[in-house]
Amino acid sequence: MSFPFMHRALSHRPLVLASRAAVVVAGLLTLAAAPLAAQGSLGSLGFGYPVGGLSTRAAGTAGAFAEFDALSPLNPGSLGGLQRIVLSAQTEPEYRTLNFNGVNESTTIQRIPLIAVLFPFRSGLALGLSASSFLDRSYSMVTTGSAMIEGVSVPTNDRLDIRGAIGDMRAAVGWQINSRLKVGVGGHLFTGENVAVRERTFTDTLTFGSVIDSSRVNYFGTALSVGGEVRIVKGLSAMGSYRTGNSFKSRIRDSVRTTAEVPDRMGAALRYDGLAGATFALGIEQVQWSAMSTLGSGVTTAQDATNVRAGVEVQGPQFRGAPMLLRAGFARNELPFSVSAERVKETRYSTGIALPIARDAATIDFSVQRANRALANSGARESAWLLGVGVQIRP
Amino acid sequence: MLLLTLCATVLFAAACGESLDGGAACPALCPSQSQQFRDTTFEAVVLDTSVGGFPTLGLSSLMLLANRPDTVVTRGVLRFDVLATSFYPNGTGTLDSVTTIDSVSLVLPLDSSGRRGTVPVTLEAFDVDTTASDSVTAVVSSLFRSDRRIGSITVIPGLTGDTLRVPISRTVVQQKIANKKPLRVGLRLSGGAGQLRLVAFTFSSGAPSLRYDASTDTTYTPIVVRTNTSLANATTDQNLAYQVYTIVDKGSPAAGPDALVVGGYPAYRTYLRFAVPPRITDSSTIVRAELLLTQRRSTFANAADSVAIGAMVPTTTNTVVDIRRILDLSADGAFAAIDTTRLVPNDSGLKTINVLTLARTWGLLPTNVPRALAFRINREGAQPSELRFFSSKAAQPSLRPRLRITYLPRSEFALP
Repeated sequence: MSFPFMHRALSHRPLVLASRAAVVVAGLLTLAAAPLAAQGSLGSLGFGYPVGGLSTRAAGTAGAFAEFDALSPLNPGSLGGLQRIVLSAQTEPEYRTLNFNGVNESTTIQRIPLIAVLFPFRSGLALGLSASSFLDRSYSMVTTGSAMIEGVSVPTNDRLDIRGAIGDMRAAVGWQINSRLKVGVGGHLFTGENVAVRERTFTDTLTFGSVIDSSRVNYFGTALSVGGEVRIVKGLSAMGSYRTGNSFKSRIRDSVRTTAEVPDRMGAALRYDGLAGATFALGIEQVQWSAMSTLGSGVTTAQDATNVRAGVEVQGPQFRGAPMLLRAGFARNELPFSVSAERVKETRYSTGIALPIARDAATIDFSVQRANRALANSGARESAWLLGVGVQIRP
Repeated sequence: MLLLTLCATVLFAAACGESLDGGAACPALCPSQSQQFRDTTFEAVVLDTSVGGFPTLGLSSLMLLANRPDTVVTRGVLRFDVLATSFYPNGTGTLDSVTTIDSVSLVLPLDSSGRRGTVPVTLEAFDVDTTASDSVTAVVSSLFRSDRRIGSITVIPGLTGDTLRVPISRTVVQQKIANKKPLRVGLRLSGGAGQLRLVAFTFSSGAPSLRYDASTDTTYTPIVVRTNTSLANATTDQNLAYQVYTIVDKGSPAAGPDALVVGGYPAYRTYLRFAVPPRITDSSTIVRAELLLTQRRSTFANAADSVAIGAMVPTTTNTVVDIRRILDLSADGAFAAIDTTRLVPNDSGLKTINVLTLARTWGLLPTNVPRALAFRINREGAQPSELRFFSSKAAQPSLRPRLRITYLPRSEFALP
């Protein structure tokens, strides 16, 4: 596991100029975040898998709760009215199986998708600092091939290792103006790197030497997000958020190689909690991934994505003097990157549970997600189990 | 219990190591920006030459004693400048002077792999000591005459064992001891065509020696004298050079203007300097590098027997311009993992020598170290075989030395 965006975060000028406390917190956050993803599969095409920055709670509802979940760094307005300090960390290993024309291939990915620290202030104000996986790109490909050398096909064994990710570090402020309205604003720093190592060996080791080549690319971009939440009627609330991206650059050896923009994102959700002990949510988000199309090479396509999610959370039986929370959700997502005009679509089913372990001072969240992905007209299908566990401490 | 079960499940899952290997969906899902291998064969040689006279006088551990009038004729000289003049008589414990000696012989260890010849030849020993300038070959050569012959033995070279004992005139050696004069023995083969390979130097007891009894009483342990010499105002290297050395009466022909020679007698070494574009050495990974040499038929010496040539890696900077000096300072090719190559001297045509590991180091060398390679023959100075190749001065370009390199340009492929 690597910590790809920690190096950039600690060395980049904007953070150096930030306050010492913020840098320390950001450093701690990024130190713990270690995104990794799977091999050349449907979930890791292009710049990688869009992890989404979902907390374990939101993951248990397939992302439907993300717009109003204060731990998920999407809607800064959700921070408003926070009552207590919250420290949160989570892990989410993924077990992925790719089926390509009848051949199965399994991979295992370790991922720490999100850590966050939230600080409440007076008058409904709250500050949230978080580090989350934005795009997770780690895989290894072992293939056999051939090289044409002087018109002769020479057998080769190829191995390509890609490690790295792009992280989203957010600092956001939320304000609960009154009992009906919350607003917030956040600043995002997108930074990370991909390291690629390619090894090619020949069957004829007497004549040919092996090739080990490496390449490293760094990313840096910024964005601003705003969001809010309004209670329409008692029990029914509407949330919305918008992230506007600024420039997004890739650097190779300190030279800017490509320039694009951090994709804009727009999200909206409805929440209904008019029934005692139950919360229902329906959400939609659109991400303008095509803004990243010029960041990569010509072999990767980036397309805008629309994701639809629905989820529910209900109170369960008492556990250590407080109720357990049971969750379930469904999502229909579109993955942004592909190798053709066709796109990868994902269906996700999820469930989860929250266990209070020190009454309201600490909670452990568990989530289980089943994702099915497919690329049309390719014969490639992929399924994955994502097991999440998150710890929230509210001192 | 529920909490424990859930935690254990997740911890177990999280504790599993990553397994990222895949590739079944390639190339459909694995678009690649990888570069294609590139081949190039070009005249990379900017300087090539053959330098003769190897090994340096006295530095060969083996000595070729040959009488092959159509090919190579050599003579050898062994110097015993200091002879033992005293000894301990049996049981006395006191030192006594050597006055009468007996059973004088020259003991010559042989390298049995170098013997050649099926007819009897006579190994003659001559007293080649002189007050004239004995470092001049012509002077020493003139002393191989019948009135100076001090011993001989007739053998069939192909049937010799691992040691020859040549009886030496007791009278001559006794006079040398009495007069405290050096004994310098010239050796040559005569009476038939043949070849012997003598051990010239070893760090053990296998070196040439002169043995004699210090008394006619044969119960005495013989006195053994190793080769030694001491030249006036000479360095240690110079003394070593003249302790055991070879005189060449007939050797291999000159290299010629458009030829590169490896081996022969005295042996040649070949030096080649290359100019390889930085886009290959610095900005690419070389996966194959071969030196293409066009061999010319050689009829010299054992032309039908395969011989090995070994690479040498010149390491000097461009401040050293003397090729001989460069070759003397070169490292053995084994340090660059360059294997030896076996070739047959009377063969001809294109020959390929793998120089991959060497070529891969060129990108790492300082700019003032020429990219070069040298060759020497195996058992240099102990066997006369030679290999001839066309040099860069060959009129026909296809005959000149060339490099064939396959390389993969480096690329920035981390960007998806």
